This record gives sequence, structure tokens and C-alpha cells, in this order.
Amino acid sequence: MRDHQVDAFRFSGRLVKKIILAAIDAIEPPTNIPWAVPTKPLAESRVALLTTAGVSMHDDVPFDMEGERKDPVWGDPIWRKVRSDATSNAIDVNHLHIDTSYIKSDINVALPLQPLADLAAAGIVGSAAPNHYSIMGFQGEDSSTLENVSGPEIVRSMRDEEVDLAILAPV
Amino acid sequence: MGLVARRIEEAGIPTVTINLIWEFQRALGMPRVAALEHPFGRPYGEVDDRNTQSAVLRAALELFVSAQQPGQVEHLDFVWHEEPKRTRWHPPEPAPIIRYMKEQGKI
Repeated sequence: MRDHQVDAFRFSGRLVKKIILAAIDAIEPPTNIPWAVPTKPLAESRVALLTTAGVSMHDDVPFDMEGERKDPVWGDPIWRKVRSDATSNAIDVNHLHIDTSYIKSDINVALPLQPLADLAAAGIVGSAAPNHYSIMGFQGEDSSTLENVSGPEIVRSMRDEEVDLAILAPV
Repeated sequence: MGLVARRIEEAGIPTVTINLIWEFQRALGMPRVAALEHPFGRPYGEVDDRNTQSAVLRAALELFVSAQQPGQVEHLDFVWHEEPKRTRWHPPEPAPIIRYMKEQGKI
């Protein structure tokens, strides 16, 4: 594993690579990187998952795709809870930058609820959080609402549910 | 997304971010990054491939134990089962921003 270096652009194609490299160039290097030290062993920790795939439960308001179609430099900044027992039959997936059919077939490709439940049952982690989270990865020109409103709300929810560790997977 | 991870970590909850585009995550200043070569839309593995999904999740969990400093990038050695040319991940229609940038002559 030590000798292996991931090719970040293996699947991107030239156009997406060009856009991402330009985006990296435009980022101001962070002056500090936040760091929290785990306080419990994995086997006692409660784990929450987060995806950027625009997943919402059927009984919730879905991510707004029409808004993004009308305004291509806007992305929906809301966040949604996904219950830990959700299956692919219970969710909507709205994201205009990927093929969402895989997640619709098997939610675990982006939000591994079943593998996490299995690890909790096996005692490898303490427990799965009762709820997990989705946001919309594409935020266009202004990510301030995601950062300053949705982010703190997600933190509050994680604290209320006594989450110890969070694993995030952009899609 | 990177911003949300930073918010969560700032609040005292350790995070691991799993991503193909680890260079972007590193530039944003993510606390712990698990880089892996899985295509967009399926970071944990293929549909119904519970073994790989579970292995990716476990590799991410191990980073909570092994990472010693902020900004650590761990390169995971998972190998996707298809060549990039045969891997379908694009949306059925171009994303609005792609269309917009083309109209603007930016790409």
C-alpha cells in the first residue's frame, strides 16, 4: 500500500481534469487544518456517514435540480438526513454530475449503511448513528450557505446523536 | 464538501474523507484523506459488491487510528474492475455547468 499512489484523474477525462486543476489553482492554501483526536477506541465509537450524492428519503423534500438547471452556477445548499435502515427503495438520488443509477440500485456504493451495520454487529465499531447525511457536492459559485448554515446544522445533529467519528465520501 | 468536513472536525468530531480527487481534497485542507481509484458515483465499490464496500469502509476507519498529523493522505490500493474507458460514470446529459462553460467559451 505504501508504494501505491492514486491517480486522481484516472476516471475523469481531459475536460473534467482541466476544470478540477483550475479549481485547485484557485484555492488559497489553508492556513490551518482542523484536527480532532478520537477519544474512544473504534469498538466503542459511534460512526456517521456523509455523502455528497444528493440523497433524500422519499418522505423528505428532494434536492433541487430544476434550480441548478435554471442557474448553472448554483447548487442546492440544503442537507438531508438518511435513516440508518434506509434501502435503495426508500430514497431519491438527485445529482446532475454523475450517473445516479448505481446509487439508486444499491445505496451502499455511496452510503454504506449495510456494511456499517455489519461492522457494528461484529463489534468492530461501537454503533452506527441513527441517521446519516447527504449534501449536494456541486455548489457552483457560492458555497457559503453550505459552509455557514448547513455545516453547523449537521454538526448539531451529529452532536445530538452522540456521533464520535464521521466518514465523508464525495461522489 | 471539504468545507463541511472542516466544520465537523472543528467541532471536535474526527473525520476521514474518502476520495478519488485527493489532490483537490488536500488543497482544501482536509484533516484525513483516504485516496482511492474508484470512479465518480461509486466511491465504496460496485453495486452489490458488499465485500469491497466493507473493505473500503474498514480502510477508512483504520485511518482514525493510524493518522498522526493533520492533512494526512493515505493511498489505498483498491483496483477498480474495469478500465477507465469502459467505466460509465457520466450523467445522461451534460451537467448544466459544462453546458454553461462551453457557451461562455471557457472550455
